[in-house]
Amino acid sequence: MSEKNPLPFAKTQSRAMLLWVLAVLIGLPLILPSATLATEILIFAMAALACNLLLGYTGLLSFGQGIFFGAGAYCAALLMLHLQLGLFAALLGAAVAGGFLALLVGALAIRRTGIYFVMLTLAFSQMAYFVAYTLSDWTGGDNGLLSVPRPEIRVGETVLLSLGDARAFYAFVAVLFLLIFIGARRVIASPFGSTLMAIRENETRASAIGYDTRHFKILVFVLSGAVTGIAGALYAMLLHFVPLSNIDLAMSENILIMTIVGGTGSLFGSLLGAGSIVLLGDFLSDLWPRWLMLLGVILILVVIFMRGGLWGGLASLFEKVRGSRKAAVVAKEEGL
Amino acid sequence: MLNLYLFQILNGLGLGMIYFLIAVGLTIIFGLLNFVNFAHGAFFLLGAYICYTAVSLTGNFWLALLIAPLVVAALAWVIERLLIQRIYHLPHMFQILVTLGIALIIQEASVMIWGPVGKSVAVPQLLRGVLVVGDFVYPHYRLFLIGFSGLVGLGLWLLLERTRFGALVRAGSESTETVSLLGTNIFRLFSMTFALGVALAGVAGVLFAPLRGAQPFVGPEILGVAFVVVVIGGMGSFSGALVGGLLVGVVQSLMTTLWPQGASLMIYGAMAVVILVRPYGLFGRA
Repeated sequence: MSEKNPLPFAKTQSRAMLLWVLAVLIGLPLILPSATLATEILIFAMAALACNLLLGYTGLLSFGQGIFFGAGAYCAALLMLHLQLGLFAALLGAAVAGGFLALLVGALAIRRTGIYFVMLTLAFSQMAYFVAYTLSDWTGGDNGLLSVPRPEIRVGETVLLSLGDARAFYAFVAVLFLLIFIGARRVIASPFGSTLMAIRENETRASAIGYDTRHFKILVFVLSGAVTGIAGALYAMLLHFVPLSNIDLAMSENILIMTIVGGTGSLFGSLLGAGSIVLLGDFLSDLWPRWLMLLGVILILVVIFMRGGLWGGLASLFEKVRGSRKAAVVAKEEGL
Repeated sequence: MLNLYLFQILNGLGLGMIYFLIAVGLTIIFGLLNFVNFAHGAFFLLGAYICYTAVSLTGNFWLALLIAPLVVAALAWVIERLLIQRIYHLPHMFQILVTLGIALIIQEASVMIWGPVGKSVAVPQLLRGVLVVGDFVYPHYRLFLIGFSGLVGLGLWLLLERTRFGALVRAGSESTETVSLLGTNIFRLFSMTFALGVALAGVAGVLFAPLRGAQPFVGPEILGVAFVVVVIGGMGSFSGALVGGLLVGVVQSLMTTLWPQGASLMIYGAMAVVILVRPYGLFGRA
């Protein structure tokens, strides 16, 4: 579906990449004015990463990521509000909700390929919005779901860590992000991941070799839905609130745009994409309420001038610098 | 009671004809240009807003009905020339993303120009009356809606089936290369087709304005409905868009009486059922 920039060093320097992620995770709250903003970046990076598994590695363009994000947020909030469940149970519930809905949407949408698949995910995204709107007894409808708690980490009765403090919550989200990032890299490096990429490159060939491609596509959809659900739950805990906009089409589009702006060639790109869009939004939304217009412009510019996204841009810049340095060394050795 | 159902079915036909106009524009563009225009809902929105401006400036709905689609088509022409033509060689994911960007820009620009609150458009003077048959009462505008979109549909069908332009569009949908080799300027054909498809969304926007006004965030909803129509009816088919549009319109309208909150929900439910039973749509081929 998409052209891939050849990025040979992405494979050889996988450990270096992990160090980069660690550096970003530690650096973000130090550089940014608030830990809340840093947390928001990581939450959306999680969602973008899940979207990237579909778009970048399997070639599935999904306009339905907002469904799983919103479902995770509602599910976690309801579990905590009505059943007084703890942190991990709520997150698990969100992952199950996201994964289950992804199974439903995936199983239906994957009956069609190409453009129909894209249209179906968008239609289901609209459907989920109307479901949330209609079930206002549960979701609060237009008003959203209020006073969502942020439970502490506890073992039995002992509280290990309260997440009320913004920096503590950031640390928790950062650890989760790191685990999900490592997990996603393992998935990509596994035979399962190679099959996904085979589907992306040529689905007919992959199924001719004997892979049940529908099976694989549904599985990666469920995985993506579960991760997105966790991101949604964390967002609900961050805001103490689940607005209806968490499940609307604009949410799906935002997650997709972050993924593409960051670059689909690498999982690290998702972190870049989420970071830049969240920061841009935070910076501009006070100055200019119609800043989404700029997002449209950016999307068009990325497609025309930088299809590898930020990651692709950085990677080719890096290659160029390395290339010219090598050339300089060669020139020196030859006495020029 | 029977009258109520008749009333809702007629309403549904009117709504369905609007959905048909939107979906058939989407389908024509897809047929020839081979990508889905994600800005289609935004152009619909623009049609409704330009109608509002034209009506408030001139007080003449009929003038608006003429001007708005032309303005929208002209804008679409320019966008196609400047932007979309540069990305035809890319996989169609990229056309989707560019049109998504265009949709965001149009939506936000509309809010900047016309404000975040919807604008209402009055039903034209000529059609403010009602039709009375026995104890059945029906507004003239709704009848006009069905008749006028029927005429637009007929005109479009004649254009596609009986003119040289239509023959080129149909031939191009089968094989762009062949048409181009035979000496047709394929890029001009692309621009014209894109403008035509978008103009149909503009017409739909104008016709919709007296019913529900011009709303700034209606674009995604309209796009979603159009997708439901083409998934049910099958993409690239004129009759599919017609039957799909009418079906969705009538279902939505009848549900408004039975379960008002769930009316919008039901059309997506209907789509899910169609996908389960007939994955390629009611008229689609595998």
